[in-house]
Parts: sequence; C-alpha cells; structure tokens
Amino acid sequence: MFRYYLKLAVLSSAKNPILSALMVAAIAIGIGACMTIVNIDYVMGGNPIPHRSDVLYHVQLDNWDPISPAREPNDPPDQVTYLDGTALLKAAKASRQVLSYRAGRVLQPADPDIRPFEVMARTPTADFFPMFDVPFLYGQGWDKAADDNLERVVVLGKEVNEQVFGGENSVGRSIVLNGETFRVTGVIDEWEPIPRFYDVSTGAFEEVEDLFFPFSVAIDNELGNSGNTNCWKPTDGGWNAFLNSECVWMQFWVELHGEKEKQEYMAFLDAYVESQRELGRFPRPLNNRLYNVTEWMENEEVVADDVQVLLGLAVLFLIVCLLNTIGLLLAKIMRRSGDISLRRALGASRGTVFLQYIVEAGLIGLTGGVFGVLLTWLGLKGIEVLYGQFDFIGNLVRMDWLMILTAVVLAIVSALGAALYPTWRACRIHPASQLKSL
Amino acid sequence: MLCMQNISKVYRTDSVETHALREFSLTVDEGEFVSVTGPSGSGKTTFLNIAGLLEEFSNGKYELDGKDVSRLNDGERSRVRNEKIGFIFQSFNLIPELDIFDNVDVPLRYRGLKAAERKERIERVVELVGLASRLHHLPSQLSGGQQQRVAIARALAGEPRFLLADEPTGNLDSAMAESVMELLTEINGSGTTIIMVTHEATLARRAGRNISVRDGRVSTGNPVHLAPAATA
Amino acid sequence: MEIGPIWRALLRNKTAYVLIALQIAVTMAIMVNSISIIQERSRLMARPSGIDEDNIFYLSSLKFAPDFDFRASVVEDLDAIRSLPGVVSAIATNTVPLQGGGWSSGLQTEPGADIEGTGTAMYFVDEHGIETFGVNLLAGRNFRPTDVEWHEDTSSRWPPVGIVSRETAATLFPDTPDDVVGRTVYVSNDQAVRIIGVIERMQAAWKSWDGVERSMLVPMYREGGGIRYVVRTEPGYRDELMPQVEQMLAESNDGRLIRDMRTMTETRQRSYMEDSAMIKLLVFIVSLLTAITALGIVGLASFSVARRTRQIGTRRALGASRPAILRYFMLENFMVSSLGVVGGGILAVGMNVWMVQTFDLTPLAWYMIPLAMIALWLVGQAAVYGPARRASLVPPAVATRSV
Repeated sequence: MFRYYLKLAVLSSAKNPILSALMVAAIAIGIGACMTIVNIDYVMGGNPIPHRSDVLYHVQLDNWDPISPAREPNDPPDQVTYLDGTALLKAAKASRQVLSYRAGRVLQPADPDIRPFEVMARTPTADFFPMFDVPFLYGQGWDKAADDNLERVVVLGKEVNEQVFGGENSVGRSIVLNGETFRVTGVIDEWEPIPRFYDVSTGAFEEVEDLFFPFSVAIDNELGNSGNTNCWKPTDGGWNAFLNSECVWMQFWVELHGEKEKQEYMAFLDAYVESQRELGRFPRPLNNRLYNVTEWMENEEVVADDVQVLLGLAVLFLIVCLLNTIGLLLAKIMRRSGDISLRRALGASRGTVFLQYIVEAGLIGLTGGVFGVLLTWLGLKGIEVLYGQFDFIGNLVRMDWLMILTAVVLAIVSALGAALYPTWRACRIHPASQLKSL
Repeated sequence: MLCMQNISKVYRTDSVETHALREFSLTVDEGEFVSVTGPSGSGKTTFLNIAGLLEEFSNGKYELDGKDVSRLNDGERSRVRNEKIGFIFQSFNLIPELDIFDNVDVPLRYRGLKAAERKERIERVVELVGLASRLHHLPSQLSGGQQQRVAIARALAGEPRFLLADEPTGNLDSAMAESVMELLTEINGSGTTIIMVTHEATLARRAGRNISVRDGRVSTGNPVHLAPAATA
Repeated sequence: MEIGPIWRALLRNKTAYVLIALQIAVTMAIMVNSISIIQERSRLMARPSGIDEDNIFYLSSLKFAPDFDFRASVVEDLDAIRSLPGVVSAIATNTVPLQGGGWSSGLQTEPGADIEGTGTAMYFVDEHGIETFGVNLLAGRNFRPTDVEWHEDTSSRWPPVGIVSRETAATLFPDTPDDVVGRTVYVSNDQAVRIIGVIERMQAAWKSWDGVERSMLVPMYREGGGIRYVVRTEPGYRDELMPQVEQMLAESNDGRLIRDMRTMTETRQRSYMEDSAMIKLLVFIVSLLTAITALGIVGLASFSVARRTRQIGTRRALGASRPAILRYFMLENFMVSSLGVVGGGILAVGMNVWMVQTFDLTPLAWYMIPLAMIALWLVGQAAVYGPARRASLVPPAVATRSV
C-alpha cells in the first residue's frame, strides 16, 4: 500500500509541476535559512572535548575589589593570579591540574634563508597534554621534572614543524626562541578545539597556539602576558611585584572524577581562600567557582548574541515558509477535490485519503529537505565570505552528518506538520460531492 | 421595449467557424412573458447571453428601452445590466459565503444606493418572495426552490425593465418548480416583463408567447400552442 | 465600498485569509526588528574614531635579540620615519582606536582605594601624538618633549600630566566638563595626574565597550615585547609609503621583527566586520522574506480567484464593471492585510521587548511600526494586483455556463 501511495504521490507531483516545485522551493528555502544558522549555533555551542568535558573543571577564585565585583552581578574574575595559581598547583589536590598563559615569541630558524617569524606560545605546566588529550604526531609532552627543573623544552605545532623542519620527526632537535635554545620533545597533530575552551579570555574561537613550552620557563624569562591582564589594585613596579600582585592573567584547570572529588576540591578551595584571608587577601565574601567545560562555555557566552538573534529570525522565517506551504497544499488539494471525492465514492476510507496525502507531503518534505541541504551549504559559504576576516570562520561553517540529517528530518517533519490541516480538509470531502463539477 | 434586429453571432477558432445566431430578430413589449425554446445547441444560450448583454454580437442591432445598446463598452454594458436587467440563473448562482441579505444586496451596491434605501428594497423583495424569515440564513441552509426565490428577489431588487431567466426550474424537483413558476407568473401579473429561456415545452406553455430557435434562427415551424397568461 | 459583505464573507471562509494574515504578521515582526537592528548597527559603524583614519597606518616592531636596545631603536626608527617625504608625523605607542586590544585604567577625582575608578583607555604617546593621530586639541596644551618619560614594561609609575578626551572630562567632572584643564585626576588609586589638555575625541580600542569614548593620552614610551609605530602621511601618500617604511625598518635592525602592518581603514573594517555582516544578512533575510510573502499572496490570491470564477461572472452579470471587480479583490486583500499588520505590529513589539531584555538591543523607534504597516500594505496590494486583474477579466458569460 505504501508503494502505491508513493506512486500516486510521484504522479500527482508530476501532474502539477509548478505547484510541486513551489512547495519544494518553499520548504527548501525555509530549511536552508534555518539550518544555516542552526549549523553555526551548533558548532559554536558544541562541546569541544566531549569525551572529557565532564571531568575538566575551570577554577575561579574571587580575589577582587571589595567595592565592586569583577563582573556584574557578583562573578569572580575569569582568570587567576600567579600567587593563587602556583599555590593551588603546589597543593596538588586534584588528580591532574594545569596552569598556563600565553606569550609572544620570535622563532629564529637555524636556516639563515628562513627569516625569523613571530609565534604565539602557550606556556602550560606538564599536565596540559594528557588533560586535554592533545593528539601527537611525534614524541610527547614533558614531565613534572622538566617543569621543576626549568628545562628548555618545546612541543611544536604541526604547522611550525612544517615551516622549520619540513614536517619531519624533529624530536630531539632544537629551535631558538628570542635567542634561547629549546629542545623539541614532541610535535602535535592538527588540533582545533571549537571553541578554544582552555582560554577564552581574548576570544572563544582563536586558533590554538603555535608551540608550547613550560610555564616555569616563561616565568623565569619574565615573559609578559599576551592575553588579558586585569588588575583592581595598583602594583609596584617590576616583575616580582607583578607576580605577587592581585592581577589575574592565567588559567587554572583541574581534573576531577565524580561528584565526590568535585565536592572535596571545592572544600579545599574554600579552605585555601580562608587561609589567605588571614594574610589580608580576599576581601570579598567566599565566591569560588568550579565549572566543567560545557558550564564554563555557557558562562562565558561563547555563542555570539548575533547568532542567537539570527536563530530566532531564522525560525520565524521557516514558519513563514511553512505557512506558504500550507496555502499551496490547500490549493492543490482543493483543486483535486474531484479526484478525492471519486476515490471516496469508489470505497476509499477517510484514513486512506489521509495517508495518501500525508505520503505526498512527506515526499515533498524529503525533496525539499535535500534541496534544503544544498541551500544550507550555500548559506554557509555565504557566511564564510561575509565574515571572511575572522580567521576562524572556516571552522564554524562546517556541516557534519548530524546537521545534514537534521535538515532532512526537519524538512519532512515540517512538511507533514504543514500538511495536517489541508489533509484533514481533504478527508472531509464527501464522496461524490464534487462529481457533478468534474 | 426590447428590440433585437438581425443579430448574428459567430464564434471563430483557428479551425472552426460556428454561427451561433443567424439574423435573429425579436421584439418584446412591456409586460410580456416570452419564452424562448429550442433543443440544446440551437443557440438559445447565445441568445440569452446577448439579450443579457453578457456577450457582444457580430452583426445586427439591439435596442433596449429606446436606447441602442449594440456597441457599448464594457463599463456601459455593466451599467445597463445593473439597471435594466434582472438575471435568474439555472443554478441560482448565489454567493455561498454571503447570507440572503447580502446576496440580494450585491446588485444594489453597484448602483451606489445609500444603506437605508438598500435595506428597504432588500426587505421588500425578500418579503415578496416569501422568505422574510430567512433573511440572515446562508444559501446552504435553504432548499433549491428557496434559493431560486432568493435569486428572483435579487433580480427584482434593482427594479429592472425585464427579468431574464435561464432554465429557472432546471435544477428543481417538480413541486419546487411549480412554486417558482407560480411566483414568476405572479410577478409578470404585476407588470414585470419576463423573457424565459427553456428547453421544456410544458414550461414554455406558461408564457404568453413562445419563440422557437433552431440552428441559430427563429424557427417558423411548429409554434407551441400557448394558453393565455392566467390573470391574478 | 463593500466592507461589510467582504468582512462577513471572510469570516465564513477563513482559511486562505488567515494564512495570508499570519504570513504578513510574521513578516512584519521580522522586518521591523531586523530594520531596527540594522539602524542600530549602522549608527554604531558611523561613529568617528576621532583620528585621521584615511591617512594613518601602523606596524609592530617585536624585539627578540637579547641585547636589543629599546630606547636607541625607538629614537632611530622615529627619526627615520619622520624624515621621509610625505610623512606628517609618527610615534611609538601601544595601540590605536578600534584595534581590539589595548590598555585601560581607572581614573578617579579623589585619591583612595575605596573609590571606584572610571575606566579610561590609555594611549602612550610623545609630543607628536596629537599630530600623528590627527586629533583635535580643544583646550590646554600639548605635551612638551620634557613631559615624555621612558618606562620599563613592568613600571607602575605614571607621568604627572595627561591629556584627556572630552568624554572623559565630562564623565569625571560632570558639572564643569569644559573647564578641566589644570584639574587633577588619580590613577592607580593615588597617583596624581594633572590634566593639561583636552582633545575632542579619540575612541578606545574596543568598539563595543560602553566607555569607548573615554581615553587619555599619557606621555610615555613603554618598553615591552612589542611596540607599534603609528605613521600619519600627507593625503595620497599612504599606500606608497607603507611598503617603504616596512622595508626600511626591517632592514635597519635585525634584532627585531617587523609585522602586522595595517591601515586604519582596514582596522575599522575588521572592527565592525560582524556588524557589517549582520546588516547584510538582515537585508538579505528581509528582502527574501518579503519576496516569499509577496509570492505567497500572489499564489493564495490566484487560488482564491480561480475558486470564485462563477461568483465573479455572476457579479458581472448583475452589473459589476471590470474596475468594480478589481476594486473588490484589492479591498478584500487590504482588509486581510490590515488584520495581518495589526497582528504584526503586536508581534513586532512583543518580539522587540523580549530581544531588548535578552540581548540588550536598542528598543525600536515608534515610527517603524506605521512605516512597516504601510510597506506591507503596499506589498500586499502589489501582490494581489495580478490575480485581481485576472479576476476582473472573467467574462460575464461565465455566469450562464452550465455547471
């Protein structure tokens, strides 16, 4: 019976090519517009590290100004101070932890034909690589001993490795950064978490840094922060005063498994802050936060407001297209009322008529969905052009299989939804009532 | 009052030329009840359309109420139809979404009459056809006979010079048909001219005079024997 | 005008009309709010930065050699750039307006740690700063060479004088915004800075910041990993000077890297790219939507007319002229559109209220609603004209055709 309906659906669409084309177009355009934005929203709001996002926690301590919060209405600052970061690191109360910031360096290739070029360096402690499950092409990161001994070791990004070493296995070889020699311990593979969750202070969709070397080495070299630095209190001059200040400029993440560990760590944080209070720090009430990756992304509102506004508009756009579809379907069914009435006279039940037209609507939906996917792809390309100057835009406009499937399913569901009223009207046509006008 | 002289109507397509009416002449005096009969394809529908100014014709002259209406433009013809002709259609042609009041109102709106006068006229003619109690019902709530009576009321509301009826009882059963014919006879008795097109001889006999149409021409053979119109 | 009968007929056969009215309503809500957003973004983008954007470019110098002499290189570089023909002036500074990254500090009118400072963008310049940026000095004086200090990257001292933007003056001294020269403000809670001048306008580096108009010029060279040279040229000289300056600096000193050369024009473009893109997107959406709604009306109206052919013929027979039939359908559409735009107005306002709350957008201007109503009335009437005209051409003889 289904095949029969399918055949009828195809024949009926072919008989009214313009009407059918309009219906398919209405659905395709609505789906295209909607899914373009949904796609971007989905990518922007996606989980950058799904298999670990619930064990990684971002730490916030409220060391801020007593007279006003770091962020309204009463949020702690988004980064931590050197004092607190190193203290928490030393206490080592979580199974893994990482403290990091970023600094700009100049790489001086050994090959005199390659000019020196600027690189952005991420300067984390050793646990960064296992915690964030960074994929390696060659070698590995460094260990805690390297951190403690201020070893000049470096992990290269794939692109830098290609620029300097032609893409070969460069483990054991050296590079010079600002006149200092670093030994390569590993080269990572392409890694572009979207968003770049481990540090969103300067923007959630920036690229991963070009290379990595130990936090302790960066501090030893007195490397200033290339990210955001926020201070509520003036500091005395000099590097040491800066390290001991209340300025926040680094990110601290911990790995905690299970609710129990999380509670325990929170208790530890609270105790730590209390102990610091006795030294005269932390004038504000207790306000520590532990957010896992998805919670932190939500807190930082990484999905741009514009995207959400567009999403709302796109949904309304789809509604208008569906209203159009309802009208077209109504017109089609009313035009075919003779056919329907005849079928009813020949014995078709209401349910049969209903099914026949629902199948037809489903077919329209499926076709509209396929074209809708094409239009979505076009739409994403358009977005890429429009926002071309954002380097990361290429990452945001990717369509994966889930999105394609969603587009088609949404199209079919919308078409079926739109068809409900016209089909119900079709069922109410009395047998033989329209026969006189045939 | 109505004079058609040597009217010819030719339908031309790419391949075929059809002479629907050939040198058709007819004169109708005020107060007459004339029936125009003929088999299907004889041209009586064409006659109806031309008499009602629904179609133009190729040759001949049509005078209505002393005025030559042969070569009027569309706007003028619409006006003449509105003011001088009252149509009654075989399938009633009531507008299904409007109630009786609004249906009868339609031609009056094109006359530009004020609301009060329209109301008065509508109530009067609907009363005349005996449907005052159904003034705000929809056509779907009335029987066929009642719907045709509403159509008659609609035709009368504009106080036309003559009623032009196209198979007025064609879609009715015999009881309803009889009541409609009685109504038409009554209206004619009050002085309204009626031209009725029909293919049924029995109906044609109810009129005062019969014209036979065959192959587009007035037929001379076998005139229908007519009984005089019953007087009130 | 047959408003009564049209309305009553409408009520008895609502479906097609409800669909049209709904489409118009939703279209209007989208249209009104999109245009409101477009207006707001355009307004933002039109704000002047206060500097001579057309003739300014800048580039970064990143030191990497361990023995790099910052002070000597800055003096040497600036001399070299300033002596080039076509260059009006140049300075070594931290950032430029709309750049996206910069420095801000809190300024107070009274010293003390318990007072909340007013965030102000800081630009580190020398006595050529005003000329290089091309900003307007409204009151007071420019820096003298003796005012300019050399500081380490981690220095926490501030020079004792500064030049503020007019907005900064107005925010800090609301009672006497035009009379601030000679007054003292405090930075870092208790370091006194005397205001020696006021410039008309110089925007901060962050275009979405609500303090974007608050800035202060600080007479200092600050040694850091990198410094930006900002160059202002005579009109027309910018494009040819850019590669010249880049090459000159790259060759003169190999202890540093020259990179990120950009014009202010490009900086503005990048800064407002998302707004510009949003505007284009919204224009596209509104246009497409209007087209779809118009086509929808054409379709539904055509269907509605085709369904009533017999009625049209009957009306013609009863005396309606062609223009009368045309007017009937135009009026019918007008009434349906009216329902749509009234509903649309309510929907638009509701949507706007929600968006203002959720996304902190600007509330829409009152005149947008009547304007959009008129626009959609016109769109509806234009769309229905074709089908209405076809309706008027239905011959009266249709009335007598057998069923």
